[in-house]
Amino acid sequence: QSTIKWRMQTYAGAALAEHVIDPAINMFNKIAGDRMQIELFYADQLVPTGELFRAMQRGTIDAVQSDDDSMASPTEVTVFGGYFPFASRYSLDVPVLFNQYGLNEIWDEEYSKVGVKHISAGSWDPCHFATKDPIRSLEDLKGKRVFTFPTAGRFLSQFGVVPVSLPWEDIEVAMQTGELDGIAWSGITEDYTVGWADVTNYFLTNNISGAWAGSFFANQDRWNELPEDLQALFRVCCDQSHYYRQWWYWGGEASLRVNGPKMELTTIPDAEWATVEDAAVKFWDEIAAESETKAKVVKIIKQYNADMVKAGRPYRYG
Amino acid sequence: MTFARKYITFIDGMNRLIGRTVMYGIFVMMGILLWSSISKTFFLPSLWTLEMAQFAMVAYYILGGPYSIQMGSNVRMDLLYGEWSLKRQAWTDAITVFFLITYLCVLLYGGYDSLSYSLQYGERSPTAWRPYLWPIKSIMCLGIFLMLLQAISEFLKDILRLRGEDIAKETI
Amino acid sequence: MSYELIAILMFSTMMLMLLTGQRVFGAIGFVAVMASLLLWGDRGGYDLGFSAAMKLMKWYPLLTLPMFIFMGYVLSESKIADDLYKMFHVWMGGLNGGLAIGTIGLMVLISAMNGLSVAGMAIGSTIALPELLKRGYDKKMVTGVIQAGSSLGILVPPSVVLVLYAMIARQPVGQLWLAGVVPGLMMAGMFILYIVVRCKMNPALGPALSPEERNVPREEKMRLLRAGLLPLGIFAAMMVPFVNGWTSLVESSAIGALTAFAAAILKGRMTREVFENSVRNTLGISCMFMWIILAALAFGAVFDGLGAVKAIESVFTEKLGLSPWMILILMQLSFILMGTFLDDTAMLVIVAPLYVPLVGELGFDLIWYGVLYTITTQIAYMTPPFGYNLFLMRAMAPPEVTLRDIYGSILPFVLVMTLALATIMIFPQIALWLPEYVYNK
Ligand code: NA
Ligand code: NA
Repeated sequence: QSTIKWRMQTYAGAALAEHVIDPAINMFNKIAGDRMQIELFYADQLVPTGELFRAMQRGTIDAVQSDDDSMASPTEVTVFGGYFPFASRYSLDVPVLFNQYGLNEIWDEEYSKVGVKHISAGSWDPCHFATKDPIRSLEDLKGKRVFTFPTAGRFLSQFGVVPVSLPWEDIEVAMQTGELDGIAWSGITEDYTVGWADVTNYFLTNNISGAWAGSFFANQDRWNELPEDLQALFRVCCDQSHYYRQWWYWGGEASLRVNGPKMELTTIPDAEWATVEDAAVKFWDEIAAESETKAKVVKIIKQYNADMVKAGRPYRYG
Repeated sequence: MTFARKYITFIDGMNRLIGRTVMYGIFVMMGILLWSSISKTFFLPSLWTLEMAQFAMVAYYILGGPYSIQMGSNVRMDLLYGEWSLKRQAWTDAITVFFLITYLCVLLYGGYDSLSYSLQYGERSPTAWRPYLWPIKSIMCLGIFLMLLQAISEFLKDILRLRGEDIAKETI
Repeated sequence: MSYELIAILMFSTMMLMLLTGQRVFGAIGFVAVMASLLLWGDRGGYDLGFSAAMKLMKWYPLLTLPMFIFMGYVLSESKIADDLYKMFHVWMGGLNGGLAIGTIGLMVLISAMNGLSVAGMAIGSTIALPELLKRGYDKKMVTGVIQAGSSLGILVPPSVVLVLYAMIARQPVGQLWLAGVVPGLMMAGMFILYIVVRCKMNPALGPALSPEERNVPREEKMRLLRAGLLPLGIFAAMMVPFVNGWTSLVESSAIGALTAFAAAILKGRMTREVFENSVRNTLGISCMFMWIILAALAFGAVFDGLGAVKAIESVFTEKLGLSPWMILILMQLSFILMGTFLDDTAMLVIVAPLYVPLVGELGFDLIWYGVLYTITTQIAYMTPPFGYNLFLMRAMAPPEVTLRDIYGSILPFVLVMTLALATIMIFPQIALWLPEYVYNK
């Protein structure tokens, strides 16, 4: 019996992949041994990230780790992948939304329609600004060309931010060639891991989302062909990857804010930042008006956040 | 053979016309990039300039491709080729041009597939500007198709050369 | 079949197809799509070729390519370099070998205004070469001067080769460009030193101009000096906003192209014919580059899919057990070997992606390596029996210059360039000092 071989591409470049995916895939390969091996490719290596979904749908690539937004999935839930503004405050919010509030079922249904298996969603880091010049008020955001997620960019453009999308691996260089003024793509852990802390000077402690939502996907036929135990093993390794990121980011964000030598922290006062939070609620309604499915997801997100506020500390303060 | 000659005249003429039109695209790209630096300096930076310049660049080189073949701009490794007689060059080209044709066919098939996906799902570029991608993908498919027609024209020219007709080599 | 074997097969098939003389992009593209069809045909292997086109579209620094190519054509077609040449002629003519020294100076200024070595070659062999031969300069020396001098075109910013290298190595273009400045000037200085020494030993190689010819009124001499301001102006219009971060790389390249275009118009040199030639040839050469890159990207994706980079790395480090410096030197030698039959774009897009990550993993500075890479490939294109610069020179030089002369002219300059290469390898600060100084935040 010959070894099953899968090709998997992640949205992350090599430096980030070392944490967000490599350990899980190494573990999978070690356990599956001669039965199955997954070859991992990094950002844009086999196909550009914009073509990732298509490549998986056709089977050029068997599995993908990405957010729905960056790889432009042709589904109704795409806008909610990546950083949907202010949908979550903590990284535990994402798995709760998916496992206890019904997002898993919606995602499964949406991706089944386009021939892709949604395996599981996990949580990443919060979304902060890392910039060349300091941001201390909303006024400072005006005219800044910032690398960010498509949906986050749509939201931020009302504050004068000019969102730019470039291949992930080109960001560091684009900061230096003047194509970008800043990055709103990650928390401070990634800024340091990826090298962005070397090309930016300031870190804004306000975030537009507390956690990134990304998923593991597979080509539907490839997934169905796997024996049940390998499917289970793959799921376990995905969960291991989700768990690793929970503590890696949570601890990393705090530690680098306190001890990181490369970036100076700045803050927009809460009263002023409330403008952005209010705008997010309007943005949610705008999105909800676009389709029934989107309305369903927005309703869940609203319900969840209302529940958290009612639950009080430590879920929400104030 | 009259068909071959007609085909060559028509395809070369059409591709030449298209090439001579898109060659001014260099000024379009310059204009977009200049606007980009002006808008950035004096107003808010534009959302669309970099992506638009990229679209212009793609249209420029893909639609200009067939004309560049006519001009002979596409380098060949002339280590051996350069020393051969014109007849021998024509012989070899008439065979090896099928490698080029194969490449272009696969490219075109991939392009067609990608374009139909774009149309089916209304694919937009994952940027804040969110332009639809079918227009640029259509231009790409058209350009690759024209390139294919040009490669066939080159093949026919080699056949005519082998039959003793005097057809000038491509020159810049 | 093992992936290593497929990789070797792909590479050798590509070499064979290139030897048939078919257009380079056709040969590379064919091997790429056939390999991807054979490997992944039933699972979407046919769309890798087109995926490369989408990848290329997203490589925004490629926008600089047509800009710099246009700039080079405007400069050489409109002959605004003529005045520059006269300037050096009048000011340097009195020395033994002075015109040859002036030609190197001319090459430095031309390098600062365009991104390829071809423009320098064209201007050198059409303007400088006939004059030098008329004054009794040694044929062998002057053809060498022009070939060596034109290689500065891609070392002194702006440089198309360094833009492409920057994309492959994921390094900032600005720093790479600045890294090329001092090595470029150093190499120019070494060429000049060589000319001075040779002509001192044997004045017949480069006779000084007669006093009558040198008898130019002082006013005229000063007026000619102003010609040197033009290239400096074009260079500054492009580089100052870029280095200060006012304009991005691609915007700066457009400003550079527009400035060169405007200069040609203001000097009354932008005739209909010049315009037509510049615009048309820019399309031709840009298409040449882009289609090769398109094919090579597909080739690279398949190669990546096979894990070829890891395979090469393991051969070097584990199987051969070489030290980092040995590997680096071996790589440079293999570049020189491949430069005899691959053209520069193909080499950049196919070979560099295999080597550059390895260089990074060995712990070398990739900015520094970019400079080494550029000089090495230039040596490769100049070394007989085959090299792109050699053939270009033969095509552009006057008929009395034979291929034998060209071959014979190369050796001393290749030695000088190798010496420069070794110096920069031993003292990386020659390349790294300027970018560190300018970009130190
Ligand atoms: Na992130
Ligand atoms: Na240059």
